[in-house]
Amino acid sequence: MSTPATARRPSYVGSVLRIFDLSLGEMLWSRRSVFLALLVGGPVVLAVISRVVWALTPVDALRVNGASVSGPGIFGLMIWLLYVRFIVPILGVFYGTGLIADEVENRTLTYLFTRPIPRGAVLVGKYLAYLACTVLLILPSVVLVFFLMVPLNGGSIGAQFPSLVGDLGMLAAGLAAYGAVFGWVGARVRRPLVAGLVFVLGWEPAVLLFPGYLKHLTVAYYLQALVPHAMPEDSAISALLQAFSDVPGVAPSLLALAILTGAALWVAARTVESREYVLEQ
Amino acid sequence: MPIHDQGYRRYGGQRAGAGRAWAVIARAGVRTLFARRAFIGLLLLSWIPFLVRAVQIYAAANLPQAQFLAPDARMFRSFLEQQEIFLFFITVYAGTGLIANDRRANALQIYLSRPLTRLEYIFGKFAILLALLLLVTWLPAMLLLVIQVMFAGSFAFFLGNLFLVPAITIFSLIQVSAVGLAMLALSSLSKSSRYVGVLYAGLIFFSQAVYGIVRGLTRDSTMAWLSVPLDLQQIGDVVFRLEPRFHMPVWSAFVVIALLIVSSAIVLERRVRGIEVVA
Repeated sequence: MSTPATARRPSYVGSVLRIFDLSLGEMLWSRRSVFLALLVGGPVVLAVISRVVWALTPVDALRVNGASVSGPGIFGLMIWLLYVRFIVPILGVFYGTGLIADEVENRTLTYLFTRPIPRGAVLVGKYLAYLACTVLLILPSVVLVFFLMVPLNGGSIGAQFPSLVGDLGMLAAGLAAYGAVFGWVGARVRRPLVAGLVFVLGWEPAVLLFPGYLKHLTVAYYLQALVPHAMPEDSAISALLQAFSDVPGVAPSLLALAILTGAALWVAARTVESREYVLEQ
Repeated sequence: MPIHDQGYRRYGGQRAGAGRAWAVIARAGVRTLFARRAFIGLLLLSWIPFLVRAVQIYAAANLPQAQFLAPDARMFRSFLEQQEIFLFFITVYAGTGLIANDRRANALQIYLSRPLTRLEYIFGKFAILLALLLLVTWLPAMLLLVIQVMFAGSFAFFLGNLFLVPAITIFSLIQVSAVGLAMLALSSLSKSSRYVGVLYAGLIFFSQAVYGIVRGLTRDSTMAWLSVPLDLQQIGDVVFRLEPRFHMPVWSAFVVIALLIVSSAIVLERRVRGIEVVA
């Protein structure tokens, strides 16, 4: 007598791991990895150029109004402007919105949904693959930039190492939160990219300038509280941000990001479970 | 029961004149976008700054206490600067799929098997972006000029600032051509419109972030040419006869924008082909 099909049905965790395994390979060896490599390679190239310039003209290269700029200071600037304000949100938008939208666009969602696994596990598995893929690529880039920039002008790698650990944790937390939020957007909205870009490049920078509670409806508010470097005054907007600075503590920010990530992922999985996706012919 | 001939039949309709086929693509593209409610919403949102400026002009013209709001060339320049964020979102919304979707559906070969040249195809697609982007830059700026005359009941400001008409037109055209062609070129590079959108965001915001670091290191804006949006801002200041805000030479901003346009044209020339010949 044959065993009923339900008896062989994998558990939720087993399904998630299956999808994770499948998606990680797809994400790492795809054309979009070229984009990711360009994105995370940019800061490294910039750090190499800075290093070369400093080696050629060590006296004058890193001086602002006669005062020398420290290596850790430049590293902090790069973490703020490149990673926190650009790379992490953009990667979150790109990969997060694509978790389900890519399958809909390629008309391959049916193949996943016809397997004997919970629909929500598809999203969670893909989300974990996104997290692993981006963290594995971004963190080495940050470490390389750290070792290239921090020793400039007498900076100490040993003294700055704890801040590097803080940076790595902060970036991982940012990728997790943005990925979960945009995973939900991708599962819910038909054109998720525009919605994602509006959130990251329109809503977040705008409401961070407003006093009051509106900024609590962003990821950046909590993420910026985890950055162990001082916010740079690179523009009038940065100066305004510092003027209205209402930075939450590290523990509340971590808690808020954890709740945000968990809640967004749960809602996204529920959306995938209940929504009927119509594939365009 | 009659049996109809299902064989080849010549086209019986009226043929468009040579060189006018691009208009068909442009018209169809604009109509498709206007059928989307989300796009209409985005357009309406992009006209809110116009309403605010119109109120400002009204107050300056009618309330003696609001004279400090009186319009000048700087107001028109800053209005166009405010529109940049909408320009970005509309370019992403309307532009990412223009060529990418055709490449994805293998429709390029179908297009080019018709009496339509590659140039007409590209210009038709470009005309879609041109029309939509001018709708949120040139048109409201020109309407603000008209509104100023209406509210003030005098041509004094208009005649005293006659250069604003060519300034608004030239700057809008430079801005829209640069971003429109860059977006089209990126759209021709991929079959995924999402990928194109993120590439475009990278072009705009990554270059700005890189300049931010250089600026942080040197406290000098000579290297502002690294950022495409800042190049456009510098050109805008010059066109509106204002003091340029960055220390970089104005010609470098023009060179970067010219390079962007030329490289976009080269990419389009190489990527928009009916048949891909594999060596």
